[in-house]
Amino acid sequence: MKQTIGERLFQVFNYLVLIVLASTMIAPLLHLLAVSFSSPIAADSKEVFLIPVNFTLATWEHILQNEVLWRAFGVTVFITVVGTILSMLFTIMTAFPLSRKEFLLRRPIMLIMVLTMIFNAPMIPFFLTVREVGLMDSIWSLIIPGLISTFNMVIVRTFFLGIPKDIDDAARIDGCNEFRLLFQIYLQLSKPVLATISLFYAVGYWNTFKSAVLFLRDPSLWPLQMRLRAFFTSEEQLAAVDLIMGDFDFNTTTLKAATIIFATIPIVMVYPYLQKYFVKGAVLGSIKE
Amino acid sequence: MADQAIIEKSSKWDRVKQNRLIKNIRRHWMLYLMILPGIIFYIVFKYIPLMGSVIAFQNYQIFNGILGSPWVGLENFKMLLHYQDFHEVLRNTALIALYQLVFQFPAPIILALLFNEVRVLIVKKTVQSLFYLPHFLSWVVVGGIVFELLANQGIVNAFREMLGFEPILFMQEEAYFRSIVIISGIWKEIGWGTIIYLAAITAINPSLYEAAVIDGANRFKQTIYITLPLMLPTIAVLFLLNIGNFLELGFDQIFNLLTPMTYSVGDIIETYVYRAGVLQGQYSLTTAIGLFQSVIGFALLWIFNRLARKSEQGLW
Repeated sequence: MKQTIGERLFQVFNYLVLIVLASTMIAPLLHLLAVSFSSPIAADSKEVFLIPVNFTLATWEHILQNEVLWRAFGVTVFITVVGTILSMLFTIMTAFPLSRKEFLLRRPIMLIMVLTMIFNAPMIPFFLTVREVGLMDSIWSLIIPGLISTFNMVIVRTFFLGIPKDIDDAARIDGCNEFRLLFQIYLQLSKPVLATISLFYAVGYWNTFKSAVLFLRDPSLWPLQMRLRAFFTSEEQLAAVDLIMGDFDFNTTTLKAATIIFATIPIVMVYPYLQKYFVKGAVLGSIKE
Repeated sequence: MADQAIIEKSSKWDRVKQNRLIKNIRRHWMLYLMILPGIIFYIVFKYIPLMGSVIAFQNYQIFNGILGSPWVGLENFKMLLHYQDFHEVLRNTALIALYQLVFQFPAPIILALLFNEVRVLIVKKTVQSLFYLPHFLSWVVVGGIVFELLANQGIVNAFREMLGFEPILFMQEEAYFRSIVIISGIWKEIGWGTIIYLAAITAINPSLYEAAVIDGANRFKQTIYITLPLMLPTIAVLFLLNIGNFLELGFDQIFNLLTPMTYSVGDIIETYVYRAGVLQGQYSLTTAIGLFQSVIGFALLWIFNRLARKSEQGLW
């Protein structure tokens, strides 16, 4: 197909715009990475752009020796692993009956659950309920109140509905009960959607913040995001060190940059593996409401 | 007599239905057992808090609980209307929501159209993965990045100095707060938002374009007359979903960008409810605010859905 000059110009312009915009997605992270490896004097005198100036590992040594940070990291790993497993279990066991014709109450129960997507409870009654249940200052407050995401549950149910019913009949003749039908047959057939949903849950748990703000007063239980926030705002833990030690190998600027990168690395590392799933999931979730 | 007959008939019908349910439970008890944890979850963490909203009509006292606290009718709502903070918070929330709708909502649509013009697959894939990445970062991290870049010794001020301008403390200036909210919101979610629109574009029948080419339409005209109109149902649905949450801006974003210096322009319903409700214990008053927010959200959803239904693109 022949292109007019206008179209060619647009093509060039389009590539340029997209490439520049795409670089702004990654540039801030690269800049902070460079800052975290620079000397504090260089960082504060605005000399660092994308390449470290006066390269030093002191900031990272300090970060990686910070026990408080590792503790928060451990909490986050725990809620991500345990939370994702529990969420998947609850979600699957809720979605399966709702996808069965034999389940007489599927319509009313489905309606009741989907309604919660429109009618959200205000923050305070939610907070009071979680407190009443006795989850205040418990690590489980980061998991249990958000176990099922209705959005994810609907995606799984839609997928289950698409599995041909002939398989059920065959399984029943072989003497499968509902639990075995779900766990040994349906789950085997739904691997792509299960991978996607567990990814959504895992990212959600990894980024847990609001629940920690609401329910955790005890800093030793704080997940990573909450700990980062405390680092950024109070500056006390960060600044105190370089005052007391009189250590000029790092300062709050380089320490903040390093903690941001520290919290980002795990996501960036698994990101390439996630990609093939999340696009599929986002489309599944949005179009088939 | 006739009434009597109807009642008898309907209660008989109920009994038949009841029997059917009992039979169904007996036969498929495993399905009922399986969904039980889910139902308990929804009752405890969705419906009980929803019912708990009634404390907006009470003078809720912790030690007496919902059942023991005195009812005050609309007193809390009346109080709100005379409350200086409430006006400010409501104005901030509505303004930021409006800016998001005007600037942030169309951004992924435009980006998806630009993506669609990229013919070199490897460039398209690479650029897309870069755009998706920020969606997976938390608002704490993004907030941290924003603060660092805009700090006194941050890179933005470094550029300003290179150009001969004075550095600005962006995060402490009221004038910049809302722009920062919108720009950081676009930065984080623009790529993620394109996924749905790209799927909608892929679903368009290629023969439409072929026909248009024969009629002499160039790429621009194809975009205006084919791609965009066929994306419209998707845009409408997403617009409605957005409208329904109009006042729910996302606690995480604002909370992580806000400083006491910018409360007057940036404090929104959710951050205010957190401070006055959770931290200071004004439970009833802040629940009234929360309820107010939900009702407005639902009313907007209902109105816009009616409008959308006229062009057959409603949610229900």
